[in-house]
Amino acid sequence: MSLPILLSVFLIPSISIPFVYLTGKKSPKSAAIFVAAIALVCIGLLLSTVPQILNSDLHRYEETWAWIPTVLSGDAQFAQFSLFIDGISASVALISLVLIFVASLYSINYMAGKKHLPVYYALLSMLTVGLIGVFLTSNLILFYFCWELMLVPAYFIVGEWGYRNSYKSALKLFIFTHAGAVFVLLGIGALYWLTGSTDMFIAQSSLQNLPAIYADTIKWTMIALTAGLAVKMAVFPVHMWLPDAHSEAPAPMSALLSGVIISAGAYAIIRLSFGVVFPAVSVDFATMFLHGLAVIAIVTAFFGSLLSLVATDIKRVIAYSSIAHMGYIMFGLSLFPVALAQGGSLALIAPAAIAIVGTVLHIVTHAASKGLFFLTAGGVMHQTEKRDIREMGGLASKMPFSAVSGTIAALSISGAPPFACFISEFLIFVGAFQIIQADSFYIIPTALMLIATVFSLAYSLRFVSKVFLGQSKEEVGVEEPPNGHDAHAPDAPAAEEAHGHKIVDVPNWMKASLAILVVLVVIIGIYPTFFMDLIQSVTFGVTG
Amino acid sequence: MMLQEFSAWFVWVLPLIASLFVPVIGRYTEKGRNYFVVAVAIVSAALAISLIPDVWGKHEAVIYTIPWLSGFGGEGLSAGVFIDPLSVLFTVLISFFALIIAIYSIGYMKGESGLTRYYYLILLFIGSMIGLVLADNMLQMFIFWEMVGLCSYALISFWYKKPESIRAGVKVFIMTRIGDIALLAAIGLLFLMFGTLSFRGIINGIIAGGFNETYMIAVAFLVLGGAIAKSAQLPLFTWLYSAMEAPTSVSALLHAATMVKAGIYLLSRVILIFSVAPALISVLNEALWFPTIIWVGTLTALVGASLALHTTDIKGVLAYSTVSQIGFMMAGLGAAAMQGWFGSLYHMISHAFFEGLGFLIAGGLIHAVGTRDMRLMGGLRNAMPLSFILMGIMVITTSGLPPFASFFSKGLIITSVTESGGVFPSIILIATTGITFAYCFRMFSLVFMGEESGYLKLQRVHESPTIMLIPAAILAGFCIYWGVGEPAVANFLGVTIFGGDALGIIYEAFFNIETPIFLTLLLPIGIIAYYSYFKRYNGIRNIAAGKNPLSTMLKHAFFFDYTYDRVAKGITGFSIALTRVENALFARLPDEGAAKISRAAQPGHAITLKKGFSGSFRNYVAAAVLGFILIVVLIILTFGIGLGGA
Repeated sequence: MSLPILLSVFLIPSISIPFVYLTGKKSPKSAAIFVAAIALVCIGLLLSTVPQILNSDLHRYEETWAWIPTVLSGDAQFAQFSLFIDGISASVALISLVLIFVASLYSINYMAGKKHLPVYYALLSMLTVGLIGVFLTSNLILFYFCWELMLVPAYFIVGEWGYRNSYKSALKLFIFTHAGAVFVLLGIGALYWLTGSTDMFIAQSSLQNLPAIYADTIKWTMIALTAGLAVKMAVFPVHMWLPDAHSEAPAPMSALLSGVIISAGAYAIIRLSFGVVFPAVSVDFATMFLHGLAVIAIVTAFFGSLLSLVATDIKRVIAYSSIAHMGYIMFGLSLFPVALAQGGSLALIAPAAIAIVGTVLHIVTHAASKGLFFLTAGGVMHQTEKRDIREMGGLASKMPFSAVSGTIAALSISGAPPFACFISEFLIFVGAFQIIQADSFYIIPTALMLIATVFSLAYSLRFVSKVFLGQSKEEVGVEEPPNGHDAHAPDAPAAEEAHGHKIVDVPNWMKASLAILVVLVVIIGIYPTFFMDLIQSVTFGVTG
Repeated sequence: MMLQEFSAWFVWVLPLIASLFVPVIGRYTEKGRNYFVVAVAIVSAALAISLIPDVWGKHEAVIYTIPWLSGFGGEGLSAGVFIDPLSVLFTVLISFFALIIAIYSIGYMKGESGLTRYYYLILLFIGSMIGLVLADNMLQMFIFWEMVGLCSYALISFWYKKPESIRAGVKVFIMTRIGDIALLAAIGLLFLMFGTLSFRGIINGIIAGGFNETYMIAVAFLVLGGAIAKSAQLPLFTWLYSAMEAPTSVSALLHAATMVKAGIYLLSRVILIFSVAPALISVLNEALWFPTIIWVGTLTALVGASLALHTTDIKGVLAYSTVSQIGFMMAGLGAAAMQGWFGSLYHMISHAFFEGLGFLIAGGLIHAVGTRDMRLMGGLRNAMPLSFILMGIMVITTSGLPPFASFFSKGLIITSVTESGGVFPSIILIATTGITFAYCFRMFSLVFMGEESGYLKLQRVHESPTIMLIPAAILAGFCIYWGVGEPAVANFLGVTIFGGDALGIIYEAFFNIETPIFLTLLLPIGIIAYYSYFKRYNGIRNIAAGKNPLSTMLKHAFFFDYTYDRVAKGITGFSIALTRVENALFARLPDEGAAKISRAAQPGHAITLKKGFSGSFRNYVAAAVLGFILIVVLIILTFGIGLGGA
C-alpha cells in the first residue's frame, strides 16, 4: 500500500472545495475547469487501480485506516475508514466522474451570467465527494455520510439555479430522498446491531452465521434497505420527486441527477441489499422478494414510458424516461441471484451473472446516454428559450450539432444499436432468458419488458421528431413546396426577427462536452469490453 | 485464403469507415463527395465479387473472428465473418445494388440539400447491410439488423421538414421494432440452450442434440416474427407503403432490393442451420412452423398484389408489389424443400433486379412529372421513350412471363409448395401470379399508354438524364438475361438440404403443372386488363370504384393501418389520462403552462424573482460547506489515532 490512491480520490475533491470557491470568485470559468481537472485526476487515479482489480485474487483493491472507536465491542476496535474498489464500483465511479467532468465544462456556457457561480462550482465539487464516497467505501457509516452528502449540493443546485418553482422541486427532492435515507439508516443500524461491525464484508460474513431467530430481523433489514434505496432510484410508487426535480434543475444537474445520482440507488441496492444481506435470507423469501422487484420494475418501466410518451415539457419527457430506465435497472436487479436452493444455501448461478453485468453496465450506459440527453435538451432550452416541445420543431437545420447529439442520445435511450444502452439491455434480457429455465415466473416479466422497449423507442422518436425535425413554428406560414424534392423551405428571416433573436447552435464548451458523451456512447455501444471485464471480475463473495 | 479474409472483413468495414469521411469531404467538395461514395461502392463490390470463387459450391462455412465481448457465455463472444455461399450471394447482391444506387443518386438527388447526410447514411447502410449477412453470430447480426432499421428510419425521414416523412419514419421504425423484440427473444432462448450465439456453436449444439424441443419451436416462431416485421409480411406489412416517403433511390435500395430481404436472409439462414438435424425439421413441421410460413407468405402475396392493383400511387404499386413478391419468397421457404429454398433465393435476386428497375424508372418519372399519382400521368411513351422501354422490360419480367427469371423462380416456389401439401396456398399463389400480371399492366398503361392528362400538358416532361438511365439499363439487362443464370446460381449455392439436389431441380421448373395453368390464366387476365386500362373500358373500373365490400377493403388497405392507429390512439389516450392523475396527485408544476422559460431563469436575470431567498442562500451554503470541511478535517485528524489499520 504505497500510495493511498483511493484516499487521494476521496480527499482531493474534498480539500479542493474552498479553492474552487476562491477560484470562482476570480473567474467562474477557471472554477469550472478546476472542477473538471479534479474529476480528470480522479479518473486517472481510478484507472490506475484497474489492473489490480482485474489481476488480484479477490478482484478488489482496498485501503483501510482506523477511524472511529466502536462503542459496542469491548476491546479497542475501530470502525475502519475503509475505502475499496472493485469492478462494479470502479465502473460506476468512473462514469460518475466523467459526467462531473462533462457537466462542469458544460456549465461554463450554460451557467454563464448567473449569480453565485463560485458557490455552484464548490457545490459541484462537493457532489463529487459524495458520489465517490458512496461508490468507494465499504464502511456503512461512511457510506451513509456520503449518501446524505450527495443530497446537500443537489438540493441547493436544484433550488438556486433551477427553473420556475425551483425551491419547491428541490424540497421535494430533499424530503423524499431524505425520508428514504431514514430507512437506509434503520437498515444500517440493524446491521450494526446484528453483526457488531460497520464493515460491509465483515457484516456479510457474520450475518450468514447468525442463529435462526434473527431470520425475521434480517428479512426486515433487507426490506428497509431496499425500500430506502429505491426512493433514490425513483421506482414507481416512490417516484414523485423525480419529474419535478429533474425537469426544473439546471441541465448539468439534471444530467447528474438522472445519470448517476438515481443510479447510485441501484448501485447501493446491489452493494448493500444484495451484497450484504441477501446471502443470509431464506431462499423462499429471496425468491418472493425478487419477484416483487420484478413486478415493480415492470410497472415502473411502463409507467415512465407512457408518461414520457405524452409529456410536453422537453425535460419532463426525459425525466419520465429516467423513471422508465430505472424500471429496466430494477428488472435487472430482480434477476440478480435468482435463488437456486443448492443444499440450503444460495447460489449465484452463472446466468444471473450475465443479468447483473447487464444491470451494472446499464447504470453506466444509461448515465452516459441520459447525461447526453439532458445536456442536449438543456442546450436546446438555452438557445431557444422554450421548453414546450409542441412549440419547437425544425431545429435540425439551426442546431445541427445538437440535433445529431440529441438523436444519438434518444436512440441510445431507446435501445437501438450501435449505441450504448442497447448492449446493456441486451445483456439484461439474455440474463432474463437464462433465468426462465430456473424460474418460470420470469417468462411474463421478460416478455413485458421486451414490449416496453417498443414504448421507449416511441417516446424517443417522438422527442426527435417534435424537437429537431419538422418545421419550426415560425416557418409553418411559409409556402410548402408540393413535393419533397426541394422541401427545404427558405429560411424565414422576417419571422425570426419577429421572434427576437436568431437561433444558433450551442456554444463551443457545450459542444465539446456533448461530443465527449457522444463518443463515449458510441464506443461503449460497439466495444463494451472494458466495462464488461471490470464488472465481470466481481465475485460478490456469494458462492454456491 | 488471405484475400478471402481480407475481402470478407473489408467489404463491410470499408463502407462503415468511409461513411465517417463523407461529412469531412462534403465540407470541401460536393462532387468529390459523390465520387468518393461511388468509389467506395466500387471497391466494396469488387471485394464482394472476389469472395465468389472461394466459396463456389462449398458446403462448409469459413469463419474468421476477432475477440469482442470477453467472458460472455463462458469463453466470450467473438465478432466474426461467416462466409458461405448464402452470405456471399447476399453480399454480392447488396454491394452490386449499392453501386447502382450510388451512381443513380448522383443524378436523382442532384440539387437537394442535406446530401452529405444522405451519402453518409447510404454508406452506413451498405456497411451495416453487408455486415448483417456476413455476421457469424446472432448478436452481431442483430446489431446490424437494427442498424439497417436505423438507416431506414433516417433515410425515410430524409426530407425532415415534411410531416409525412417524419411520421412515416417513426411508423416504420416502431413497426419493425415489434419484430425486433421477437428476434431478441429468440436470441435469448438460443443462448439459453446453447450457451453461445455463434452460428457454428448453434449448429454444433443442434447436431449434438442439445436442444429443447419446446424452446426450439419458440425460437422458430420468434425468428419468423422478426422476419415478418422486417420483410413487410402480414400482418406488419403496412410500413413498406409508408416507407415510400423516402427518396426513390432509397426505396430502390432499401425497400426493394436489400433491406426488406433481411427477413428472407434470416429465415433461409435459420432453415439452413436447423436442417442439420432432420429430427428438428420434423419437430418444426409438426409444430406447424413451416405451414405457418407458407400461409403467411401466400396471404401476403395475395394481399400485396390486390392492393397494388388498387393504389394510384406509382411508388405504392411498387411497394405493394414488393410485399407480394416477398410473400412468394416466404412461401417458398416454408415449403421445407430444396426447390422452395433455392427458388426463394433465386426469386429474391430476380426480384431485386425487376423491382429495383421499377423504382429507378419511377424515380425518373416522378422527377419528370412532379407527382406520384398515376391518375395524373398517361401517354408518357412519347415524352419518355427510353423509360417506356425499360418499364416495359420491368413489366414483363415482373409478371413472370416464361423466358424470364421470375417465371422459373415462381415455378419452383409453387411446385414446392404444392409438393409440401399446401394445395390451397399454391392455388392462391397461382391466382396471385395472374393479379401480378394485371397490376403491372395497369401501372404500365396508366403511366405510358392512353392520352396525356390535363395536368401533364402543363408540365415540361423530359426524359431522365443519362446518369439515371444507365443504372436502370444495367438492371434491365440483368432482368432479361437472369433467366439463364439459374444453373449458375444453383451451382454456386451448391447446398443440399432436405435431401434435395441443387442441379436437378432447376429442370423441374419447366415441367410442372404450374406452367400450363399460368399460361392459360394469362390470356383472360390479359384481355381484361387490356380492356380495362388500355381501352379504358369501364366494367372492371366501376367495380373497383363502386361501393362494395371488396373495394372498401382495398380502399382501406384491409383496415390494418386503421387498427394500428386505433391501438396507438388508445395508448396515447391512456397515457394522457395517467398523466392527469399523476399531475393532480403530486401537485406537479403545470406542464401546459411551461411554454416559455421565465425570463428570470435566463442569464443575467438569475435571481431577481427569488430575492427573498437570495440573501440567506449564501449563508446556508456556507454553513453546509463549512460543516463538511470540518468533518473532513476531523477525518484526517482521526487518522492520527491509528494509522495503518489493516
